[in-house]
Amino acid sequence: MMNRGLAEMRSEKGISCEINGQIIKLEVPPSRKLLSILRDDLVMTGTKISCEIGRCGACMVLIDGEPTNACLTMAYQCEGKRITTIEGLSVDEIDPIQRCFLEEGGYQCGYCTPGMIISVKALLTRNPDPSQEEMTEALSGNLCRCTGYGGIIRSVRKAALLGRDTS
Amino acid sequence: MALSRSSSGERWRIRPDGTEKVTGKLAYLTDMSREGMLIGKVLRSPHPHAGIVSIHTDKARKIPGVRAVITHSDIPGMNGFGIVNPDQPVFCEDRVRYIGDAIAAVAAETPEIAQLALDNIEVHYVPLPVVDDPVKAQTKQAPKLHPGGNVLHRNQYGHGNVEMSFAKCAHIVEETYSTPRQMHTYMETEGGLFIPEEGGRLTVYSPTQHGYKDRMQLARILALPEFNIRVISSPIGGSFGGKDELNVQPYGALLALVTGKPVKIHNSRAESVRSGLKRHPMTIRMKTGVDANGAILAHQVDIVADTGAYATLGAEVLNFAIEHVTGPYLYESVAVEGVSVYTNNGVSGEFRGFGGNQAIFALEGQMDRLAARLGIDPWVFRARNMRKPKDPGPVGQAIVPTDGADQVWQSLAGSELWLNRHHQPSREPWIRSGTGAAFVMHGSGLGFGIPDPAGGMLALSDDGKIEAIFGYEEFGQGLIATLELMMIEQFGFGAEDLRIVIGDTDLVLHGGSSTASRATSMMWKSLQKLRQPFLNRLLEEASRVLALPADQLKVGIGGIRDRTSDELLLPYPRLAGEASEEIRFLTHFPFPTSPTKRIGAHYLYTYSAVAVQVEVNALTGRVKLLKQYHAVAAGPVMNPQGYLGQIEGGSGMAVGFALMEDAVMEGGHYLTKNLDSYLVPTWTDLMGDVEVHAIEELPEEDDHGPRGVGEIGSVGVAPAIAAAVFDATGIRINKLPINPELLQELPEFLREEANSE
Repeated sequence: MMNRGLAEMRSEKGISCEINGQIIKLEVPPSRKLLSILRDDLVMTGTKISCEIGRCGACMVLIDGEPTNACLTMAYQCEGKRITTIEGLSVDEIDPIQRCFLEEGGYQCGYCTPGMIISVKALLTRNPDPSQEEMTEALSGNLCRCTGYGGIIRSVRKAALLGRDTS
Repeated sequence: MALSRSSSGERWRIRPDGTEKVTGKLAYLTDMSREGMLIGKVLRSPHPHAGIVSIHTDKARKIPGVRAVITHSDIPGMNGFGIVNPDQPVFCEDRVRYIGDAIAAVAAETPEIAQLALDNIEVHYVPLPVVDDPVKAQTKQAPKLHPGGNVLHRNQYGHGNVEMSFAKCAHIVEETYSTPRQMHTYMETEGGLFIPEEGGRLTVYSPTQHGYKDRMQLARILALPEFNIRVISSPIGGSFGGKDELNVQPYGALLALVTGKPVKIHNSRAESVRSGLKRHPMTIRMKTGVDANGAILAHQVDIVADTGAYATLGAEVLNFAIEHVTGPYLYESVAVEGVSVYTNNGVSGEFRGFGGNQAIFALEGQMDRLAARLGIDPWVFRARNMRKPKDPGPVGQAIVPTDGADQVWQSLAGSELWLNRHHQPSREPWIRSGTGAAFVMHGSGLGFGIPDPAGGMLALSDDGKIEAIFGYEEFGQGLIATLELMMIEQFGFGAEDLRIVIGDTDLVLHGGSSTASRATSMMWKSLQKLRQPFLNRLLEEASRVLALPADQLKVGIGGIRDRTSDELLLPYPRLAGEASEEIRFLTHFPFPTSPTKRIGAHYLYTYSAVAVQVEVNALTGRVKLLKQYHAVAAGPVMNPQGYLGQIEGGSGMAVGFALMEDAVMEGGHYLTKNLDSYLVPTWTDLMGDVEVHAIEELPEEDDHGPRGVGEIGSVGVAPAIAAAVFDATGIRINKLPINPELLQELPEFLREEANSE
């Protein structure tokens, strides 16, 4: 469904964008939600569905590097954009941020985790050495109901430390 | 032991389900799909209370792409569900009792067509008067919501004569406490995939805390033998008690059988709010008296719980609250009454803490008020009245003796947070800091008189994996990780030797529900029972295969090893291939119960003491949590990461209960329909440190091992916050969530202006 060549993408309808490094042509209505495109059309279910109104962050993806709620993004807004989902963070090996979440226990049921990690990725890419306030602001749009954030806070601090050491 | 990664050493392990979770590869049951599957949707009532005059589905059926439209007349079996009391209709026939009530369900080729079909089902309702208050519901004039009236359940407990005891009191405190309709807010809403299989079987991939209970209920609804239904129930994106009852399963199952196609249902958040369970709102009136020396003489309690439209576990939650409103204290006389009442509000059901949260908020409020009246330090006052190890339980029942009460009391008394409570500098004139504490005794297991089976299996599989097979569910609490760690530490296996098999009724035994903080205890107990027979059998078989005496061998990583040299002699796959017969042991036993015959009374208790430090902004009235200290006496720590995570997570949920969460209803309708108006704590709200001190020692004669900690972290936080708010502001809180307006003061300059006018 998703691995078609550029040559086939000459249709007038639909939009094209890059998802996790692959050029994708999507023949969908322009108002279709990116969240449905990812989960239902492309069967990439790492991006989670939860509140559908942009409050919980479970569906966070990167669009041209910016953390964005896929539930609030429509197909036409993806035209020509570079989209990264959680699946795109660990192609060859897992991202150091993911490793920090694993080691610190920054998840329990794990349903918020992909969105949470995407937000952390955006933060640390932009700012490898964030202050407490910057972390708080960057993660304020991601809800977790299981961990009380303790494990997540420790994971993010560790990832920041790691980034600072290697940058 | 203060729990942390560094204090846990090698026991702090990466969870076996971790890599899949952090990479997004893990398919939750609501993530699943099948080629050619249909989308299911449920039509729910627009009215909290109405008669149904007619239901017409013809228009909906004719829409291209619609494969099925079903109503009550399409149910082959029983039109009802509920774990204990199946009084909730799958589809309403002549009456709706809340806005989550289902009238019809459709299966269509796309979600859009399914929605169009719902919009074209014509239901003619006659609205009826709405009963939205549990007190009014008990009056004679109130419409009867169920054949037996509006009282679901009444219960009481008492000893002594409270009137005589009150007459002797030097101080009496009377207060009414009320608690909100809290929402579980699991991040994964209800849903699943329902697949008709060959031979008339049905496979249900849908989250639940008890696959076997779902199977039994679905069999009743579908009129199928239980063995025709396979329920696969983990992994789950959070539950907290909210997914223990059936939710979308009846609709998915019926639609799959009617259409002969796989059907997927996944509730929207708005639909989840509307139809899902909530924590029982309770109003608890308390009158408690002490003598001049500070001994509690009398305690009188009256509980009213709003159970909403249907029973689910309303009766059991009320029983639990009645048991826990006396808590870890001794009284000369006690008189507790409670009633759980049907209304047209959303359905209340089980929720982490199971009625203990409401009860303990009220009880601890009384203790603080009494201590203040006596002029005694509130923590010292608690010690003066504390239950001793051999005292009977809160409802006079025999319980397993434990030193937990004293242990957690001492731990908190010696904590840095408590010792420094009077030395909190105020950063700004309008910031007030305060410290408060609460004392908790919480039962585990379902209690006396309620079937509470437990058990599990160990097997050497054909491919040489050691299989640990349990009927419990992974909903984030770390059950798989805990089981793995126990198998490594108590048996000597390596992680790679193991296969954990859970959550599939075709593969596991009926081991009881993953609820009531019981799964860790019951897995541990099962392993204790299985360990010797299983290890002996492995060694006997190995001895035969290797032609070596069994006492020269041991079980180890990778296979059977030489007892002295640790040399690997027989890898498990080879042992499996050469074993003379299947190596498989199972155990089945009930959760231990009190010999005292009182329905629901608990036998095993966990204690905790919680201290919190808060800041109250007197300008905004907002409470900010700075620090928490939890002392928990739950026996040996099986999995430090899971234990810490459960206490931190449970406490975070309780911070929401105390400070912000309320699923507000008006006239039977939710005013808070999604996470824009129902606010749960964010990272900002829970940044403060949480120190968890695990007390692992059990009395020597106690062979019950570890107690679960799924609930204990969530029950003491709200009363501790209320106490800290009083310490900071002098304002006593009796209603949750704490209303910032109560804590607001006029700023100094405005006060001057106000005075001058």
